[in-house]
Amino acid sequence: MDLLQGTLDMLVLRTLILAPLHGYGIAKAIRNNSGEALDIEFGSLYPALKRLELKGWIASKWEISEYNRRVKLYRLTPAGRKQLRREHSEWADFVSAVARIMGPVPEERKQ
Amino acid sequence: MTFWKRLKYLLPSYRRAQERDMSEELQSLAAIAEAGELGNLTRVAEEARAVWGWTWLDQLYRDMQYAFRSMRRNIGFTATAALSLALGIGANTAIFSLMDALMLRWLPVRNPQELVQVKLRSGSRVEIPGESFSNAIVAALAEQKEIFTNACGFSGAVFDVGPSGSIIRVPGAWVTGAYYETLGLSPALGRLLEPADDRPGAPLVAVISYGYWERQFASNRDVIGLSITVDNHPVIIVGVSPRGFQGANVGAVADIAMATAALPSLEPAFAGLLGPGNFWLRVLARPQRGVSAGQAQAHLSTVWPEITERVISKGWPAARRRAMAESVFVLSPGGTGYTYLREQFERPLMILMAVTALVLLIACANVASLLLARATSRQREISVRLAIGAGRGRIIRQLLTESMLLSVLGAALGVCLAWLTSRFLVDTLSGAGFYNDEPIVFDLTPNWHILGFASALAMANGILFGLAPALHTTALGGSRVIKDDTRVTRSRSGLLSSLVTAQVALALLLLVGAGLFVRTLQNLLNVDPGFRRDGVLVVNLDGQREGYRGARLSEFYSTLLNRVRQLPGVESASISSHTPLSGSTWSEAAIPKGQSLPQRDNAIFIAVGPRFFATLQTPLLSGRDFDERDQGAPNVAIVSQAFAARHFPNQSPVGQYLSATVTSPPSDLQIVGVVKDVATSSLRLRPYPTVYVSYFQRASGNDALAIRAAGSLSQTAAAIRQQLQPSFPTSVLEVHALTDQVERTLVQERLMRSLTGGFGVLGLALACVGLYGLLGYSVVRRTREIGIRMALGAQQSGVQWMIVGRALRLLILGAALGVPAAWVVSRWLQAMLFGLTPTDPSVIASAVLLLVMAGMLAAYFPARRATRVDPVTALRAE
Repeated sequence: MDLLQGTLDMLVLRTLILAPLHGYGIAKAIRNNSGEALDIEFGSLYPALKRLELKGWIASKWEISEYNRRVKLYRLTPAGRKQLRREHSEWADFVSAVARIMGPVPEERKQ
Repeated sequence: MTFWKRLKYLLPSYRRAQERDMSEELQSLAAIAEAGELGNLTRVAEEARAVWGWTWLDQLYRDMQYAFRSMRRNIGFTATAALSLALGIGANTAIFSLMDALMLRWLPVRNPQELVQVKLRSGSRVEIPGESFSNAIVAALAEQKEIFTNACGFSGAVFDVGPSGSIIRVPGAWVTGAYYETLGLSPALGRLLEPADDRPGAPLVAVISYGYWERQFASNRDVIGLSITVDNHPVIIVGVSPRGFQGANVGAVADIAMATAALPSLEPAFAGLLGPGNFWLRVLARPQRGVSAGQAQAHLSTVWPEITERVISKGWPAARRRAMAESVFVLSPGGTGYTYLREQFERPLMILMAVTALVLLIACANVASLLLARATSRQREISVRLAIGAGRGRIIRQLLTESMLLSVLGAALGVCLAWLTSRFLVDTLSGAGFYNDEPIVFDLTPNWHILGFASALAMANGILFGLAPALHTTALGGSRVIKDDTRVTRSRSGLLSSLVTAQVALALLLLVGAGLFVRTLQNLLNVDPGFRRDGVLVVNLDGQREGYRGARLSEFYSTLLNRVRQLPGVESASISSHTPLSGSTWSEAAIPKGQSLPQRDNAIFIAVGPRFFATLQTPLLSGRDFDERDQGAPNVAIVSQAFAARHFPNQSPVGQYLSATVTSPPSDLQIVGVVKDVATSSLRLRPYPTVYVSYFQRASGNDALAIRAAGSLSQTAAAIRQQLQPSFPTSVLEVHALTDQVERTLVQERLMRSLTGGFGVLGLALACVGLYGLLGYSVVRRTREIGIRMALGAQQSGVQWMIVGRALRLLILGAALGVPAAWVVSRWLQAMLFGLTPTDPSVIASAVLLLVMAGMLAAYFPARRATRVDPVTALRAE
């Protein structure tokens, strides 16, 4: 399924609200939480992380994972939380607006 | 915020740390993920780097590195292109820096853009002094508070500073009281001159320049209140003007400024300057806020007729007074100050600017053809890159980086060249100092104007001449060129040929211009000025300043002359009120007795002593010279050929009488002789009717000795100085050669001759380099063809002719374009030429000849190389 422009950032922020994750973990979490519907390419996700980090919405830190590996974990910053709230409400508005137009499609009548 | 974080990525150390961190992170993730799940990690890293920004900078850096490397590998190409550009840009920058100093630079004063220069324009043909005004008019202008907050007048001066015996000439200025206030300056130390200092009888005070304060007084703060001797009078220094301000006269430094009211005490001989009939001050004014130039002009034209009643000398003829009252004021921007040089050199500089633009065009054509030729040799490389997926834009950007780098290199070299040569320009201009003998001072250190100009040229050049080859090379995409499409090379060599043809045409244009100015100077030097200039020394004297008046002055000068005549090496010596081409003349009305005197002056008058004509070797055509008899009555005169021809046609004027205003009361002058015409004010003008009167019947005070020396001029000059200086304790005598005085009137012509000549040769050389490059290139491209021809039995001369013939065709085509262009363009030079028309056939013919000869020389080397092609090697190369 293709993502709408700008949705990826929102998904990343939303995913990180639960717990800090490393880059690959974020991709996996999005895939799992969407019921395998959204398969984000790592090639798009990783630059998005760098972009969000530059904007100050997420922060990263090297830590030791539960499997005793050194990984870089990303966490949400307070600014990121605020941004997520803003994006969420915009998203909700957008969805309800589209939903109002998109009623069920009537079946085509057969001749 | 984000921007500042991004900026950090410009730091190489930070960037490296981030790079390391990122590769570590990606590796750690690759270890966790399944193989291939993360995709192409190099690409991921590249896209992450793009997030940091500066990708373009990165690419630029890499392009520059690449460009540097390829420039180093093709050192011959780089040197030729950069040098061509350096010469072109250097020539432009040198002329521009002079133009900038002379015309464009603001004075270092408060809001210079507000200042206006007040000028007067006359509708009638009666001569009106346009840019100069009398003290009374300056005062009347300053009173117009509705339009001007302030108005001031100023004039350059040279002061003799120091006690008797150790006098130094210091350049300065006479200024009106409102000068500093109008300019809006505040003192570096003490106070500046004020209106109170400019009242008759005010104490003698002076303001010195910051530079003079540093040099002469070692920046000592005790200078305020110090008394210095100026023109033999004690003058108190009251202040130091701000750093960088050298006076409102551009090009002339004013180290000492004094109020005009001090003039009668300091220089009694010139006290008359303050009178209503003397127009000697340039005027700068600062309009009231919100008053436009048009409103101010309208206001001035309503009040001016009333002002003229008050301020115009009653002694003037009625016609001139009326013309004055009917004249209109013109306000022009004054923030760049005033210089007489501007009027004299504006046109020449414009022409030189156009000339250097042509030189630059020729240079640019060289660079363009070099780039084009190089692009051809890189065609394969570029095609391969296009074929494997490089973006066209990206390749164009890279090629542009190379041409820009080349331009910048050329511009940097050019600015250095310009800086070195502009010294020479200023020295040449300094010779034009009619006004006083002070050198012209221009600061030509490259400033941001000049650097901006040079870099704009470089940018335009880099883009314009880099883009064409870049577009050309990348236009065809990959595959076709890899197959070595011959059509491409043909269209490209057509482009090269037309570039060279244009160069030839432009070079011809330059050569014709240079030829016109060379001949103009030659013609002027060949004009018979009516005297022999070499071997004559001139000493300007001011006996009045030493306190001599009337009969005592005559006596004083007589004894001086006798003393000079006895010096070794002096052949003859005389005295006169004006020497030829000294820059000043004196005119009066004179007419054969019985006719009524005209309203206007109709003759130049010169008072000369006995043996003046012998000293200058001006032939006496009939009658006699003045001699010792001509001291009291009767008044006698000698007239020039032109005067005799106009007023005594077909009869001898000797023995006739003239009525003239020269004596008071007006009385008759008996003509005792006729002399050959002498160029008095300019070598260009036809000699004006001139009347010579006996010096010792009319001594004025401000005069010149003319001395013909037999031996070394400099030795005699030193001897004369040594002999005369003790009699002039309050001034510095200067002895100069009459040739220098004549040369001074030719400064503009000499400048134009040297510069257009130099630029002509430069343009020709550049065009020849272009021709040489094209032919050399074609020999290389046609090596195989030449080899086959020779293998089939072609003679060496035939091969040579093939190359030379191509050169000749290009030259003839270029000349065919250049001659009509020169014919059209040279009309603009008409006013500056002398003794020939702008379309002088001999000038055009010699320019074409020179061009063809130089072109043949340029063709010789490639032609010789063509004959050396070894058929076997040429064919084996395939």
